Amino acid sequence: MTRSSPFSVRGRHALLIIKDERDLAIVRRQLGRLGMSVSEADPEQLAAPTAAIDVIVLDADSIPIKSDPASALKCDAPVIALIGTETPSRLKWLLDLQPASFLVKPLRSAGLYTALVVAFDCAQRRSEEAAHIERLEMRIRSRRVVLAAVLQLMRSHALSEADAFTLLRQTAMRHRTTIEQLSADMITLGGMPNRSSRTA
Amino acid sequence: MTRPTIPLGLVFSRSGPYAMMGREMEKSALLALDEVNQSEAFDFTFTPHLRDPRGLVAAYHTACDDLIREHGVDHIVGCYTSASRKQVIPIVERTERLLWHPARYEGFESSDNVIYVGAAPNHTVVPLVRHMLENIASDVFCAGSNYVWTWETNRVLREIVTSAGGRILAERLLELGETAVDHIVREIIERKPPAVFNTLVGESSYVFMRALHAASKRAGLAIPVLSCSLCEPELKLIGSAAAAGCITSSAYFESIDADENRAFVARWTSRHGTGSHVSVDGQSTYVCVMLLARAIRRAGSADVAAVRRAAASHRYDSPQGPVWVDPDNNHCFLTPRLARSVPGCRFRIFWEADAPVRPDPYLSNLDLASIGMKLDQRGDALAKRPTHLRVVK
Repeated sequence: MTRSSPFSVRGRHALLIIKDERDLAIVRRQLGRLGMSVSEADPEQLAAPTAAIDVIVLDADSIPIKSDPASALKCDAPVIALIGTETPSRLKWLLDLQPASFLVKPLRSAGLYTALVVAFDCAQRRSEEAAHIERLEMRIRSRRVVLAAVLQLMRSHALSEADAFTLLRQTAMRHRTTIEQLSADMITLGGMPNRSSRTA
Repeated sequence: MTRPTIPLGLVFSRSGPYAMMGREMEKSALLALDEVNQSEAFDFTFTPHLRDPRGLVAAYHTACDDLIREHGVDHIVGCYTSASRKQVIPIVERTERLLWHPARYEGFESSDNVIYVGAAPNHTVVPLVRHMLENIASDVFCAGSNYVWTWETNRVLREIVTSAGGRILAERLLELGETAVDHIVREIIERKPPAVFNTLVGESSYVFMRALHAASKRAGLAIPVLSCSLCEPELKLIGSAAAAGCITSSAYFESIDADENRAFVARWTSRHGTGSHVSVDGQSTYVCVMLLARAIRRAGSADVAAVRRAAASHRYDSPQGPVWVDPDNNHCFLTPRLARSVPGCRFRIFWEADAPVRPDPYLSNLDLASIGMKLDQRGDALAKRPTHLRVVK
């Protein structure tokens, strides 16, 4: 997997959900300088985004707190929040969107690049962490299967638990598969799979 | 001898959705301005520059930009909503001017270029909720307008109420200006909550109060209504009977029994007629102009930095009592009061703080434990503490 640098923002696409014309002008101009493309959405009529979006720049004050955050805000793109009102009720609403970074209004051209870099880096780390957690969860889910395979080997080959696990691990390595996958195959087949069926 | 004159920006929406309040505030600003101009105690006069942003948020920025750039205005009195103030703050900060802000607001702000003369949340919502918990109920039904004031006021309410073991029974919100209130009134009559907390504003609130009054009467109910924003001119708009009985928290009521206030109300009615009532935001606008005039006199100049220094901690005996700016956060020391609205479009004050209270815009000194403790000491049925916290011998 290639890891794109958070510092290279050229060519990325931002969705702007900003009502105030002055703020909008500043963001448009600065993103233009950075070589990013933009599309804009009306804060009052949010729809699911049509184009691929790399980042959402959202004026937090433009959306009523009690409204359900629209699907446009629930996509995977990191959110940069523009903050005017610092009341806890507004910030709590914002936290539910898990903003990757923020800027305090009134906006200036300075600061936006930092916010973008932090947002892209944060999004990258988040997706890596999510993948890592997914792998860990998979392992936890397959724990019972591995245990069943070890027990099967202990019974069929009269092995200790340690030896059964070693055999399982070595066989998985030989077959170029994971312990979890081999265990699942063993449970299905009722024994060690035929070597030729697993090797490429 | 002619006195030098100082241009003063007055930015109030005389038209648009909250025109009633805008007009009241402008009237009060002009009353104060005339008094300053006619008084020998000041060696300068104010020249008013009036602007009407018509309740349009973006128009506040344009109006202030024009006042500052074209008319050399250093000081602006105005704004009512937080959205309008947020528009003005960038320009007064950039150009190093001062905005004198009369209206109460939800807090969580402290600009060096704003003097916050209206009440902070610790002056309004906190005493009201404490009173409710100690004397009325610990469970409450909330009805409010869907904007920042309600969101934040209800959050504070929820925090205090739940820490005292009470419950928010419901939180029903209406869009600003919405007058379809029947479903909320119906729900209140059906559920019979022990108290209703009303943060509706403008026409929504007036229609709600009338409908709730009528429905309660039909059902033979008397559900206490609490508010942090109701004021005398609104009681008149709601109607004397429907507006009566609302428990309201405010730093100013027309009925404050003090010489300064009686004289102020007399000057107001001689100018606007006996049918006209002073409002909390109107009185606060008057205080803004007076605090500014006194600070200019002390500073010997209208220079912003000098005026800000001169205004700090300088006590003014205003209609609402002693007021002074806390230089730590540019908000004012004010005296919180609680009153009950009575027929005749008046408030009867039943509690006031012993002395002006330090403003706490970030509620960083809000001691939830002490409110809960007070309830424990009372030991009555109102204080529904969680049973697992009781001392078991």
